[in-house]
This record gives sequence, C-alpha cells and structure tokens, in this order.
Amino acid sequence: MAEVNLSGVRKDFGQVSVIKGVDLAVKDGEFCVFVGPSGCGKSTLLRMIAGLEDISAGELRIGGADVTRIGPSDRGVAMVFQSYALYPHMTVRENIGFGLRMTGHPKEDIQRRTAKAASMLQLQPLLDRKPSQLSGGQRQRVAIGRAIVREPEVFLFDEPLSNLDAALRVQMRAEIATLHHDLGATMIYVTHDQVEAMTMADKIVVLNAGKVEQVGSPLELYHRPKNLFVAGFIGSPKMNFLKAVAAPLPEGRIGVHLPGGGTIALDARGARLLQEEPVTLGIRPEHLELGQAGGGQLTGTLKLAEYLGSETMFFLALENGGELAVKADGLAKAAIGSTLCVGVPARACHLFDSEGRTLVNGDLSA
Amino acid sequence: MFPAPVAKASPGARFAYSALLPLALIVWLLPLIGVAVTSVRPAGDLAAGNYFGIPSGFAGVENYSAVFQNSPIGQYILNSFKVTIPTVIGAVALSCLTGFALAVYRFKLNLTVFFLFVAGNFIPFQILMVPVRDLTLRAGLYDTTLGLVLFHVAFQTGFCTLFMRNFIKALPFALIESARVEGVSEWKIFRHIVLPLMRPAIAALSVLIFTFVWNDYFWATVLVQGSHAMPVTAGLYSLNGQWIAAWHLVSAGSIVAALPPVAMFFLMQKHFIAGLTLGATKG
Repeated sequence: MAEVNLSGVRKDFGQVSVIKGVDLAVKDGEFCVFVGPSGCGKSTLLRMIAGLEDISAGELRIGGADVTRIGPSDRGVAMVFQSYALYPHMTVRENIGFGLRMTGHPKEDIQRRTAKAASMLQLQPLLDRKPSQLSGGQRQRVAIGRAIVREPEVFLFDEPLSNLDAALRVQMRAEIATLHHDLGATMIYVTHDQVEAMTMADKIVVLNAGKVEQVGSPLELYHRPKNLFVAGFIGSPKMNFLKAVAAPLPEGRIGVHLPGGGTIALDARGARLLQEEPVTLGIRPEHLELGQAGGGQLTGTLKLAEYLGSETMFFLALENGGELAVKADGLAKAAIGSTLCVGVPARACHLFDSEGRTLVNGDLSA
Repeated sequence: MFPAPVAKASPGARFAYSALLPLALIVWLLPLIGVAVTSVRPAGDLAAGNYFGIPSGFAGVENYSAVFQNSPIGQYILNSFKVTIPTVIGAVALSCLTGFALAVYRFKLNLTVFFLFVAGNFIPFQILMVPVRDLTLRAGLYDTTLGLVLFHVAFQTGFCTLFMRNFIKALPFALIESARVEGVSEWKIFRHIVLPLMRPAIAALSVLIFTFVWNDYFWATVLVQGSHAMPVTAGLYSLNGQWIAAWHLVSAGSIVAALPPVAMFFLMQKHFIAGLTLGATKG
C-alpha cells in the first residue's frame, strides 16, 4: 500500500511562500496529475514529495509512514526527470542497474530486474549504448526503466515528455499509461500540458500560485469547475467568458442579461441570488451553436477562422468589444468580416460571481 | 564572430599579418632560442665574450653530458618528481572533495568559504616567505621534500578548489538528485557519478599544477638547502663553478629541467584545453 498524503504542506523561501498549504490524498495505485501554469509550484510540490526540497511546514506521509523529515534516498520513491538525468558515462544497462548496484543488491537480482525492465520498455537492443547514442524518446525510456527497476511503490514524473516532439509525446503518453496499468503503482505526474493531464489522470490537481484550486477526475474538472481559474485552465480551446448581469427569477431560475442585449434564463440548481449582481458567464466553444438561436443569442464579426479539418474554429469580435471562440463542424465556412449569429444554450452555461467562485455549473445531461 | 577572422581582412592587412606574425613569434621566443643556442656553445665562446653570436662550434654532447657528470642533476630531477607528484595528487584530490562540497551542498557559509579559498590566491606569496620558513622550521620540516609538498598542497588547493567547484557546478544537478532519489549515498554519488565526469578537469588541473610546482624556484630556495631535497630548478645553480658562471651548462641543465612539464603538456594537451574552458565558462 502506498498512498501519499499531504496535510498543510508549505514551502517558504524566507518571506516568499511558494507552496501555501496543500492538503491532498493520493490513493494507492492512483494516477494523479498536477497541472497549472508555469510558476504555480507544481514541480516544487513534486520535488518536496521526492525529498529534493525541504518541507517548511506540514506533514507528508507515504504508505502511512511520516517521511516529512526523511531524505530522498529513504522515501522509496522513484523519479523521472524532465532532463532524463542519465549518467553520461554509463551504458544503458549500467544506468538502469546503478541504483540497485549502489544499494547492495545481488548481481543476479540486478541482472534479472534490468532484463525485465528492458523488455517492458523495448530497450534490449540498446543496453550496451551510451546515452549520447540514443534519441530523445529512447533516453526517456531509459529514464523510466531506471525508475521501474527499483520496483518502487510511488513513481514521480516531472514533465517527462516536454522535451519530446509531438508524435513521440503521444506515443510515450500511451506507454506510460500502459505502464501504470501493468505496474499498478501510485504515480504522480507533473505537466503543463492539459491534454496529458486529461488523457492519463485518474485524478487531476489544478494548482495556481502555490494553492490547490480543485481536485477531481478529468471530466469533473471539465464539466464542473469550482471557479473561474479552473474553468479557464481546463479545456482547449479555452472557455469563453462574458461579463454579464444576473438577476433572480421566480421558480429557482436566474436571468442573465447578455452584453448583446439578450437574456438567458438558467436553472439556478440551488444557487441563490438576492439581487441583481455582476457575474461572469462561461461557455465552452464546443457548446456554442453557430447560426442558431438557442436560449440566448450573440452576434459578432468574424475575425479569424481556423480550418482544422475535423473542426473549424471561429473567433468573433462581439459588438461590445468582447471576444468569442466558437467550435463548429469541420465543413462550416464563413467569410472573414461577415456577421455571425451564435446560439447560447442555457444548459451549457456556467456562472461565476464577481470573486470568481462558481454560482452555477452547466449540466449537459439535463 | 569576434575578432573577425584574418581570412576576411583586406589583402594588405593579410600580408602584414603573415609577415609580422613570424617576426613576433621569433622576438617572443628569443630568450628560449638564446638558452637553446647557449646550451650547445663551447665554454670558450663565453670566455671570449661571444654571448649572442654564432657558436664557434657544436658542443652539445660535451655540455649535456657534463651536466649529468658534474652535478647531481639526476638527484635534483628525482627530488623535483618527489615534490611535484605528491603535490599534484594531494592538491587535486583535496580540491575534488572541496569543490564537490562547495558546488553541491547548500550551507550557510558556503560562499564565504569559497571566497576564502579564492582570496588565498590574491596574497602575493613572497609575503609568506618568513612565516612559512619559521613554520616549517618549527614543525621540523625545513629542508625536506615533505615540507615543500605540504606547503605547495596548501597553496595550490585554493586555485584548484575554484577550478573544481566551477566545473562541478556546471554539471547537470539533476544527475545528483536522480542518484539521491535512487537511494545512493552521498559518497557513492561522488565516487561513481561526479568523479568519472570530472576526468577532463582532473587531467587539466594535473597538468597545470604539475607545471606550476615543477617550475617553482622561490619556495625551493626558501625551504630547502641541501642537495638531498633540492628540486632541479634551484639545483641548477650548482652547475656554476665556485668562481665562474658556467652559462653553457646552466642552459643545458635548464633545457633538461624543462622537458618533463613540456612532455606532460603535449601528452595532455587535448584534455587541458577542453578542461580549462569547461571549468571556466560556467559558474
């Protein structure tokens, strides 16, 4: 059993706090992804779990044992670095077996485990090469091999795919996911790429400025963001945000006056408004309906169209100065400068209050 | 690229360059050429006042064999090795350790300690002449190779630490972190990861320190008197007669004494240059 528990974990450099109190429970065998913009502290948090950064305050438990003040070598975790950190003077075989050799494992054991790791990662033909003779993807595989050969209960990945080209990244992503399935170990993975986060994670932790914004499954974060930050961070292309004014309506509904003049009536789903107040309306580009009058309607001038084949992205300038991204069918066509009409379905709308907290999440299943 | 390559300069400048460069080279090498020519000059030339002219005959064989027959130069060269090799080993080994500590560990006075090492290099060593002589005398190390070795190790370690610290600082730190996460002890990280990667730095520094220490004249004369411990640089003096200066023999002896560091330089040239830039550009 190797669950990882953080409670009130902080990291301060003098006056500056980088991690401002993180509480998190990663279950045994879970694939947990830390995402966030650069500088949010996600790598620092991972390094604190690895023991490479001191924990200023709070408690870290791995597999139930308190390891807050224990050095990296005694935490029983394995880490894969962004730069791979392969030992340049050793062959692949020596690289993979190094940790075991240094910690006094018997020779046959090292050989057996190296061979097993190599076969899992298709590294057998490369075992006698030096890292400088390998391609980026192969180096990455060696780095992963070095981690799995130790048979740790917790794997830590620090942006392992960001030095690879796009095609290789997709392939390695699948390999890591398969590896997680085969090993059943707990994995914590840091990335700034939300596609990696969405495709691999059991649980995503969205970090911003040293704080956890939301923890949840990928779809939960996508459909039910807790605040404006998560709503804007998860999903690509980004969710559209429109400044609007909301007012309570009878029968538990909320009326939102769109900047263009129209009004949408939303199901409040328990949220209560006492008076008229400024809100932010959020709606994802893929939920907008081009050329249809839905619950509400917006009109704008087409500024840019991206024809991606499978879909078309339209970027509109709204009359009041806002912008709107609309994802349409791959066959949709429109001339730059033309005026487009966009339907806003009420059930896909999210509503955020003036402090960025969610008032209402859209519910597409309804 | 700066400076602009000569090949791209105007024809006039190119001509001037190819004419002046050999000239400058000769002027620069004149002292060395002078010593080399003197070393094959018959003794009579010097007595006749022919110091810088064409030698009247070739006396290389006599002079060089005289150097080995008339003076204990073999003993002196042996002494030089006895001083230089332990110094190189001692200074490089110590600085590998200090450099590792200063480059890898974050502790309170890290930078202060590092500056202390560096600051030592700025002290003109002549200032230390009297205290160091007293110190070695009291420690019973005066007039021994050990005394000389200890002093050289102490004095060279500062520069070596600067060099090694900067070299290790330029190594990717993730290598060390990665080994730590793998459960490797700090000593084994040093021994199995950092040390192998420091090979070029060790080679470069060894050549450098070998040359420094081999060519040292000052401390050899200050700390040693008897020929049992005298290095070759100071020992050459004994080639002079009691009343007359035998410049032809001293020159021949100098050439012989200069050979080991030159040989070392050429043998390790590749490492030396790579190592020097590797250690110097970062950190």
